[in-house]
Amino acid sequence: MSAIEELASELARLPGIGRKTALRLTYHLLKQSPEQARRLANSLLTLSDRVRPCTRCFNLTEEELCVICRDPRRDPRLLCVVEEASDIGAIERAGEYRGVYHVLGGRLSPLDGVGPDDLTLSALLERVREGGVQEVIMATNPSLEGEATALLVQRQLAGLPVSVTRIARGLPVGGDLEYADGVTIAQALSARRAM
Amino acid sequence: MLLSTDALVLHSMNYLESSRILRLATREGGVRSVIAKGVRTSRKRFGNAVDLFAQGTAQLYVKPGRDLDTLSAFDVSHPRPGLALDLDRFSGASAIAELVMRCTRDASDASLFDELSQVLDDIAGAEPHDAGRVALRGAWRIVAALGVAPSLEVCSECHAPLEPDEPARFHHASGGVLCVRCARRIPGGRLLPPAARAALRAWTEGGDAPIGEPAELRAHQRLLREFLAEHLADGRPLKAFEAWEKGWSAA
Repeated sequence: MSAIEELASELARLPGIGRKTALRLTYHLLKQSPEQARRLANSLLTLSDRVRPCTRCFNLTEEELCVICRDPRRDPRLLCVVEEASDIGAIERAGEYRGVYHVLGGRLSPLDGVGPDDLTLSALLERVREGGVQEVIMATNPSLEGEATALLVQRQLAGLPVSVTRIARGLPVGGDLEYADGVTIAQALSARRAM
Repeated sequence: MLLSTDALVLHSMNYLESSRILRLATREGGVRSVIAKGVRTSRKRFGNAVDLFAQGTAQLYVKPGRDLDTLSAFDVSHPRPGLALDLDRFSGASAIAELVMRCTRDASDASLFDELSQVLDDIAGAEPHDAGRVALRGAWRIVAALGVAPSLEVCSECHAPLEPDEPARFHHASGGVLCVRCARRIPGGRLLPPAARAALRAWTEGGDAPIGEPAELRAHQRLLREFLAEHLADGRPLKAFEAWEKGWSAA
C-alpha cells in the first residue's frame, strides 16, 4: 500500500470522513510544508500519549483527575451518569448543571455483546458507597438501550442511601407541537408536571 | 425502486457523525440493512422514535445488487418502550432479534414478520418474573416459523413414533428427538424429560406451556442455544443469547 493510500484509509476511519474526503485531505496535506505535517503528526501522538480517563469519573483528562473533579465549586452531592465522555460537553454547554459526572463508557447492548461488566458500574457503586452523593441523575440516551442501562444502574444502587432520578423527555424548546411525532408527544404527556 | 413496507427495527448502529445503519425486519423485503442519513440530528423524516424494536411503515430506496438500502422515511406506529422496563424483557427481545437476523435473509416472509411482531408484543407485556419463559416460547415460535422446528413426536433419524410420556434424547445435529434404538447408535445430545418435550411441542405449535423451576428455564435456554449454534454452523457466537442466559436482572 502506498503512503497516500495508507493515510487516506486511516483518515477514512474517522467519523464524518468518507473515502473521497480522506483523499482530498491527504492531497491537501501533501501541498503543505513538511513542518506543518510534522506538527499535525506530533499533535496526534501527544493526544494519544497524554489524554486518558479521569481516575474518578472516567471523563477525558490529561491529569489524574479531570477539570470537573478538580473544581472545588462543583457540588459533589449531585452525580450525573452519562454514557460517553462526549455527553458531558453537551450538558456543560447548557450551563445549568453544577454537580459532578460519571462516565459509564457505553450502554447495555446485548446484540453488540456489551453487558454490565463492560461498563464502569463497579466504580460508580464505589463512589456512591464512599458517601457524599445524595442524588444520582441518570442521563443516558432516551433510547431503549439507554433506558435499560438506566434501569440496571437504578437496580444496582437500590439499598444505598441515594436518590436516583432520570432526566426528563419531551418536546424540544422552540418546536411546534403540530410537527412532533406521536411517541414524543406521548412521553411529554406522561411526564407532565404541575404548574 | 421505492419500497414502502411494514418494518421493525432489529439493530441500530451509529454511523459517522449523524447517521445510523439499521437492520430492519420488513414484511415485503425480509431482513434488510438500511442507512438512515441524518437520523441522529434531523427529526424531519424520522421523528425521534426510530429506536430498537419500534415498528412502523418504512420507505426504502432499494438498488439491486447493493447490500445497503437508503431509508427515506420511517413512520413509527408501534414503539415498544415496555421492553426497556425490565432487563429480562430487554435481553429476551434482543435474543429474538439476533435469532431473526442470523437465520433470515432478504426474502419476503409476511408470516414470519407477523410472528416476530407478536412475539415482541408478548415479551413487552410479560410479567417481569415470566419474561424469560415468554421470550423462550417466542424464540421457538420463530424457529417454527422459519421452518426448522425440531422433530419431537417421531424419531428424527428413523421416524419411529415416540410415546409422549417417555424421556427422549434430543440430538441437535439430527434435528430433534431420537428413539431408544437410534440413541444407542448416535452418541451425544441431551436427555429431554417428558414435560420439557411437551413444552417444546406446545411452543413450536403456537401454544403455551408453563415452566417450573428457574433451573428448567436455564436448561431450555441452553438447549435452544445449542440447537441454533448447530444449525447456524458459522461458528459466530450468539452474543444476545449469552446475555439472555446470564440474566442481567440478577446483576
